[in-house]
Amino acid sequence: MAAASLIFISGGVRSGKSSFAEKLAEEIALKKGGQLNYLATGVASDQEMKERILKHQRDRETGNHLWRTVEQSHTIGKIAGVFNDEDIILLDCVTTLLNNELFSAKQKWDEHFLEQTLESIMSGILEIRDRAKVLLVVSNEVFYESMAENDLVFSYGRILGKIHQNLVKAADQAFLVEAGMAVNMKGSRI
Amino acid sequence: MHFITGGSFNGKREWVKKTYGLTGTWLSAYQVKTLPDDFNHITSDLLVLEGIEIWLKETTKSYNSNKSREIWIDTINQWRTWEEAEPQRKLVVIGTDITKGIVPVEIENRLWRDVTGWAYQDLAAKADKVDVIWYGLNQTIKQTGDEEQ
Repeated sequence: MAAASLIFISGGVRSGKSSFAEKLAEEIALKKGGQLNYLATGVASDQEMKERILKHQRDRETGNHLWRTVEQSHTIGKIAGVFNDEDIILLDCVTTLLNNELFSAKQKWDEHFLEQTLESIMSGILEIRDRAKVLLVVSNEVFYESMAENDLVFSYGRILGKIHQNLVKAADQAFLVEAGMAVNMKGSRI
Repeated sequence: MHFITGGSFNGKREWVKKTYGLTGTWLSAYQVKTLPDDFNHITSDLLVLEGIEIWLKETTKSYNSNKSREIWIDTINQWRTWEEAEPQRKLVVIGTDITKGIVPVEIENRLWRDVTGWAYQDLAAKADKVDVIWYGLNQTIKQTGDEEQ
């Protein structure tokens, strides 16, 4: 069997990155078969967030494809065991996962903690990829304004940037979604 | 002149190191806050200027947008004079794109952002080659006859 593949998708707020990722996952399921999985990382912290999650769930339920939802809001690698090589998994999104790791720990953001977080997220993602048929990872474009004024923003940006660079390096395909249009940045579309 | 841009933490520096190697002079605005204009003492073939958005910010602290842009164009011309003095010389300029966020609340940051946008247009217009880096991958958005292989 060919090695499992990793697809990285990013875009700005409301760029259509999630819809594109879902369509791409369904396209892959149609062509290659397999079980669609939604790896939910969100923790509903307020009403708006709850509604947002519900909307995403409804969208997936009302489609023609059967999605299974699996929840894991942090230490993502822990969930790897539930997947096998028939699973097509959509992880949406990396920033939520990173926020959960960084803000739930109530820890000082020193170099050691940030490195540990980076390592935990990267190894978790690769672990899931290795077990799955295809793993699609969605993230946010947040790097286009000055991030130097605030130490917290700077540290956050630096670690997210590292994660994205690592993901693009490991990915078989990468897409940047601009206004609903997916620009193929790496690898050709399956 | 090769202009490299892209968002923060996208691997621009690594890409330049990988593409041009490590030999040469590297001047970083993250280390030295003043905009260098006189390069006569630099004798290496490769000169990399990193973090030009910081130098632009310094300029906008003392001058309005028109004057800042004037100074900037003048600076680019001096850089090019250095590069063109010897055929083997190569100038690489790295600038972070800080122009796609929410409009800054502070007037000085709005001015900085405006000037940076214009400055990058001026720089790209005069550059032989322009690349946008996205998480370590490059997209060449300008390439002139001299640079085509």
